[in-house]
Amino acid sequence: MSLSIDIKYAARLLSKKPGFTALTVSIVAVGLGLTLYTFSLLNGLLFKPLSFADNKPIYAIESPYDHTHLARREIMAIDIYNLKKDTSLIADIGVYQEGTTFVGGTNDGLRKYNSSYVSANMFGFTGVQALHGRGLLPEDHLEGAEQVIVLGYDMWQSYFNGDPDIVGTIVPIDGSEPTRVVGVMPQGFAFPSIAEIWQPLPNSVVNPTTRERSFVFAFAKLADGVSLSQARLALDAKSKEIEADVGDDITWLIGPSGKYLTIEPMKKANITQYYGMFIALLVVVFLILVLACINVGNLLLARVNERIKEVAIRVALGVPKQRLILQMLWESIFICLLGGFLAVLLAGWGLEITNQVFDNTYEVDNLKPFWWHVSLDSQALLVLALTIVGMILVTGLMPAWRALTGDFNAVLRDGTRGALGKKAAKTTKVLVISEILLSCVVLIMATVLLVSSYNAGNADYGIETENRLTAQLQLAPSNYPIRPDTEHEDRLARSKFYYDLKAELESRDNIIDVAYMSQLPGTGGGTSYFVIEGQEKEVIEENPFSNNEGAATDSWDALGMQIIQGRDFDYRDANQDARSIIVNESISKDFFPNGDAIGKRVRRANRDDAEWYTIVGVVSDTYHGSTMEFSSAAYNTYHSMDNAGMFRTMTAIHYTGSEAQARQSLFDAVNTVDPDVGIFHVQSYDALIAKPILLIAAVSKIFLICGVVAAFLAASGIYAVAANSVQQRTQEIGIRRALGSPDKGIIRLFMGQATWQLLVGLSIGLAMSIWLISIMSSTMIFSQLSYIIGLAGMPLLIAAMVLIATFIPTKKVVKMEPSNALHHN
Amino acid sequence: MTTHTDINEKESPMNASLVKLSNIKKVFYTDDVETHALNEINLEIKKGEFLSITGPSGCGKSTLLSLLGLLDTSTGGKYELAGHDAVELNRDERARIRNKEIGFVFQAFNLISDMSVAENVELPLTYRSDLSKADRKKMVDDALEKVDMLHRANHFPSQLSGGQQQRVAVARAISGKPSLILADEPTGNLDSKNAQSVMSLLDDLHEQGATICMVTHDPKSAARAQRTIEVFDGKIVADRSTDKAPAIAV
Repeated sequence: MSLSIDIKYAARLLSKKPGFTALTVSIVAVGLGLTLYTFSLLNGLLFKPLSFADNKPIYAIESPYDHTHLARREIMAIDIYNLKKDTSLIADIGVYQEGTTFVGGTNDGLRKYNSSYVSANMFGFTGVQALHGRGLLPEDHLEGAEQVIVLGYDMWQSYFNGDPDIVGTIVPIDGSEPTRVVGVMPQGFAFPSIAEIWQPLPNSVVNPTTRERSFVFAFAKLADGVSLSQARLALDAKSKEIEADVGDDITWLIGPSGKYLTIEPMKKANITQYYGMFIALLVVVFLILVLACINVGNLLLARVNERIKEVAIRVALGVPKQRLILQMLWESIFICLLGGFLAVLLAGWGLEITNQVFDNTYEVDNLKPFWWHVSLDSQALLVLALTIVGMILVTGLMPAWRALTGDFNAVLRDGTRGALGKKAAKTTKVLVISEILLSCVVLIMATVLLVSSYNAGNADYGIETENRLTAQLQLAPSNYPIRPDTEHEDRLARSKFYYDLKAELESRDNIIDVAYMSQLPGTGGGTSYFVIEGQEKEVIEENPFSNNEGAATDSWDALGMQIIQGRDFDYRDANQDARSIIVNESISKDFFPNGDAIGKRVRRANRDDAEWYTIVGVVSDTYHGSTMEFSSAAYNTYHSMDNAGMFRTMTAIHYTGSEAQARQSLFDAVNTVDPDVGIFHVQSYDALIAKPILLIAAVSKIFLICGVVAAFLAASGIYAVAANSVQQRTQEIGIRRALGSPDKGIIRLFMGQATWQLLVGLSIGLAMSIWLISIMSSTMIFSQLSYIIGLAGMPLLIAAMVLIATFIPTKKVVKMEPSNALHHN
Repeated sequence: MTTHTDINEKESPMNASLVKLSNIKKVFYTDDVETHALNEINLEIKKGEFLSITGPSGCGKSTLLSLLGLLDTSTGGKYELAGHDAVELNRDERARIRNKEIGFVFQAFNLISDMSVAENVELPLTYRSDLSKADRKKMVDDALEKVDMLHRANHFPSQLSGGQQQRVAVARAISGKPSLILADEPTGNLDSKNAQSVMSLLDDLHEQGATICMVTHDPKSAARAQRTIEVFDGKIVADRSTDKAPAIAV
């Protein structure tokens, strides 16, 4: 009976103040919604172990992540083979390589797919049965075995129109290799990550007998009862053993941690470069949740302060402690449950949008890992339920504590300043400081990421992107083989195709220029240390590092670049013995300040026997890679691609008229020169540049939402807490004024206290922010502007919010006649 | 605009008028309702006088005290404090007079719980720029000595009984040596023993020359004043002297 009275009473209180109820429910909904969304996102992408029917987590075994090239690194096949034999900690292990495969035979039918070359046990490892036919068998690895392929469901549907009789048919692979389709895998299966087709690795890679330079990634399951840390220790020991045995052969694969073999959960290994950013996101969202809790708790606390006389009467009438706590909790229960329901809707909507963003991001290259589809699952709902319980306790116990610890005798007598007590005053101070520091961290993080990604999106890469179309061209290996006896001629034959295509394109009215580079400016961005003759450093890492690209002759105009000094590549550089290089202006200025770069020599720093290259030209600066990525470089060197005979290259086409016409021209010209050449990833230059930061941009949109939410919560929370604090001290203000304090004195006193709280809150908040930024900055570059706005602008904004939030209510109370303030209840 | 000068700046005889209210009105507006808390109040308080204001609850006596103490402004009428027009004073001038010339004793003590006894007593002195720290310390000690609370200087209000808290409040009221002490039901929250003690304090202060104006419900307390006025429905309905001898200047 008493329970129903309390519930009705709480419901009546909430319905009596619909504005208050709507505000608190929306704060809870936003806080919980963001938490639920972020948990679901990170659980799907990162935390929930990748597993199949047996529910055993799958791990990736590979070399440490290469942050300078933003790439995962394989390990030597023999080491995985030995590991499999030598350790009992790993229950099952398989290997794979990733690549691309052309299916089809002519330009019209040639399609490029992400292929995984796998050990045949992969199919048994996952336990996923083929939809049609079979997976791969151990005999498929053997030399002389028939070439076979297993198709993914989507490519089977799109390329073969879901032909039910596809198994057993022969399809041309990579231009002309006849390959038998032996199976089709079910929809959604793309293990290890992005596979659209599967082909067997050679037996020499799966079962190597000697240490050859063949490298693989590995997937593994641990034996029952073995923890990840145990496996890590075992791999560390194995790494040392291998290093002692083979030394220099694997030195280049050892990361800064000094390890060669690493084991990580499969999902984490796929997004190592974004791991810091995701963890930062998690921290920020957790802080927003705490901020929301404090805000709602404070609002409820303010309500109790308003109702303190009523509470005192209940205490005087002998209400049991538990009942009083429960009465205080009911309001929180209503608010948090309603907020939780809205949070589910908000999070579901956010996840739906996220899936669309993922699909759009990887639409061109299908590089989306197959588990990147996020949804609200039972784990997420369990987390929501636990969070709601936690929130009810935090937001409900704050007012309950207030209700239990007041001096109710004093309240009943008069409700003087003495009734508030030191504890309540301290609580208010802690609340204000908490609001400040949490707001500080969230706003700084959101700002730094937002400004940096905005800058990256609008960065000057040193090139012209307007009216430029980009595409990847890939030769059919069977048409352009590299044979040992005629290697140089074969490479020149490949290059000839590119120049023929360039001439064909430039003969058309709508095409102005054509450029070829291994990676175009704004993309790529792998860096390597280089040595300048006469300026060698003793330690490799003390040498400068640059991004290195292959470039065709006459590629600069099409990109809006200029030759500043020396010459372009020409026929001399196609010579087999030619070792010429073009450097960019920054290298010339920084290392050859007298303008005498031409004729000087440079070489790669990581190999003592690396050949020297003579600088023949200096070109204008460009930026390779995203300006947000740590591996990006401002120093660039260019090798002639003529005698490299590149199998695939990027092209940039400067056109007039429409982009559609330029696309058509590209396809027509390729058909004219060699119809077997594949054309992929055709897109505008702007779209190409945006690609490296698409995921970061998408996450920074989440940070934007976090920022907006945080700003709202911070502004409203700080105002509410500060106003509540001043409100509670109305009588004190009345006393001070009665005793003769001038208005300015009161305002100065309160502003001084607010300033002290600001300093404490901002100091802790800034320290936490810098720590979080340092975690993220190991893989990302933040612009200076973002630091200025984030680390200086946001604290100033918060300072303004706190001072205004203190000044306005203080001024309001000071304006009251002292007699009113003294009798304020 | 009136320029305020200290109300003590001229030597005035003990029977000179310190407070003079003429046709004072106070109206409260709540939505559309006008409440006349005080109506045509005329009152003169002489320096050194001990006046009590009595009347039933809600009659306007506390409102009258607030107006006397410059804690509130009147809706109409004239208020002269030591010959100066108090109605025309601005907020800062009113604050300065409250600080230097008026001492308040409230029914609910109104001590600040975060401050020690000494800090509470020192509080009004900290608003003065003419006092050094040493001066303030001496004045605080003197005031606490007078109310016999010096030994409790470092305690906090919550560690004191109601009677002790009120003694501290009296010490705070007299620490700045004000010309006028206003007490609003000073014994209202106290038992008879503590009430007696506080009234004795006020008697002592009066004997030392203080002008005291006290609102009270308690006839016994009212009887200790030289003069008692009775307020009813916002008007003074009686003004009588008691048999007490006039205060003697010290």
